[in-house]
Amino acid sequence: MILIASFLIFFVLVEIVYLNISKSMSEDMLNKKVSFVKLTGLPDLAFFSDINYVRHRSLSDLYSIYSDDSSLRERTTSTFSIANKGMN
Amino acid sequence: MKSFINIYLIDYAVNSLLRYKAKNIFIAVIFSFLIFLLSSVFFITTSIKHELNTTVESLPQIIVQNVKAGRVYDIDISSVDNILSINGVDDAQPRVWGYYYFEQLGVNFSLVGIDEYEIQYKKSLQNIAQMYNIYNKHSMIVGSGVLKAIKKAYYKNYFNFIREDGTIKKMIISGIFESETNLESNDMIVMSKDNFRDIFHMPSSKATDIVVKVSNSDEIDTIAAKIKLMYPNFNIITNESLKVSYQKMFNYKGGIFLALFIVSLFTFFIIIYDKVSGVSSEEKREIGILKAIGWRVKDVMAEKFYESFILSFISYTLGVGLALFFVYILQAPLLRDVFIGYSELKPAFELPFVFDFETLSIVFLISVPVYVGATIIPSWRVATLEADEVIR
Repeated sequence: MILIASFLIFFVLVEIVYLNISKSMSEDMLNKKVSFVKLTGLPDLAFFSDINYVRHRSLSDLYSIYSDDSSLRERTTSTFSIANKGMN
Repeated sequence: MKSFINIYLIDYAVNSLLRYKAKNIFIAVIFSFLIFLLSSVFFITTSIKHELNTTVESLPQIIVQNVKAGRVYDIDISSVDNILSINGVDDAQPRVWGYYYFEQLGVNFSLVGIDEYEIQYKKSLQNIAQMYNIYNKHSMIVGSGVLKAIKKAYYKNYFNFIREDGTIKKMIISGIFESETNLESNDMIVMSKDNFRDIFHMPSSKATDIVVKVSNSDEIDTIAAKIKLMYPNFNIITNESLKVSYQKMFNYKGGIFLALFIVSLFTFFIIIYDKVSGVSSEEKREIGILKAIGWRVKDVMAEKFYESFILSFISYTLGVGLALFFVYILQAPLLRDVFIGYSELKPAFELPFVFDFETLSIVFLISVPVYVGATIIPSWRVATLEADEVIR
């Protein structure tokens, strides 16, 4: 049992070190992201591209949620997890 | 110095866990699964917040939108001069950007118009995109998601935009944004302002919004208030409010999402508490015998503590380890759909890994101590009874 626990701790530590080396944001990546955002000047991530008011939620207001249809509030799964700015 | 850890008690606790193998494996599997779900959601939200916060400083200090009857309309470029006349304003630039709905796939592209021939833009473009043909007037740079989407519609190195009057505007793809910027650029198309205006029939006297640069960042709020006073219908978004918006992003709905997991976690604890409070007669007899052969209440409690801690800690480590693998290596299949939807234009869910000690501590504190408590309390109740009473 102690052996299993030690192995699991070792596994998680190795995983964290591996992820830190291979998956964390490098300096070059950060510079490219910053350059891109400076160029476009637009906030938010391209994750939520299904609906306009979710794509650039920081620039949308409370009423943009009704831009497609006055009765619409939730349309896709992302609108359940990501709030419209005006709905916070 | 007297040792606080009794090796013999740990040995006894491990053997006790092995004695009720089936029951403990079942608890460990359920417990690990719940910790895995909870940590996965935490890891995803932490990484998204980190991604957003690393770029928030490079966003414009003030964005001015024209709001009429509760809707955002194009803004008059003439208001730029009035904004520039405010003391402290360094620069005000009209921007053009918007969405192009590609009906064939049912996706929205985000289009941005820039002054492509300005030196600073050329330099930054070469830094962030693989360029092929920068000198073509009717060219555009696209995100990798856009390229994939238009290839699905059998386009190769160009794309036909349909104007409002039904005519077609052919645009050559002159570059692709590098994969490092995928989370920001996946659905983006960058082109010259003239081309943008041509596609959307936007007159040169109008813009989508205005970005304002302020020389002293302490004056942002004052200048925003002055613009608001000048144009009461304008919506003013400051860099600070963008930061607040990012902070709030998961607070309302993400909170509900998380609440569901907390409810399921507590349901688990109630089941555990209920199960253990009716300590089985066999376990009661065991505690009784231990007391009869001289164990104190303290020893029984310590043994139960070791037992529950070992089980919950193994479950915690397993759950966290699996969640790290699931989120950062497998890119969170199924769970990612909650965050990015089912659109054709979704980017690879390659989130930057952030070692957030706070997240790991929160998951630990809402899992391990609660389980330990739920196990120790019922055992303490039995252990405080007289040995003969328990055995009988």
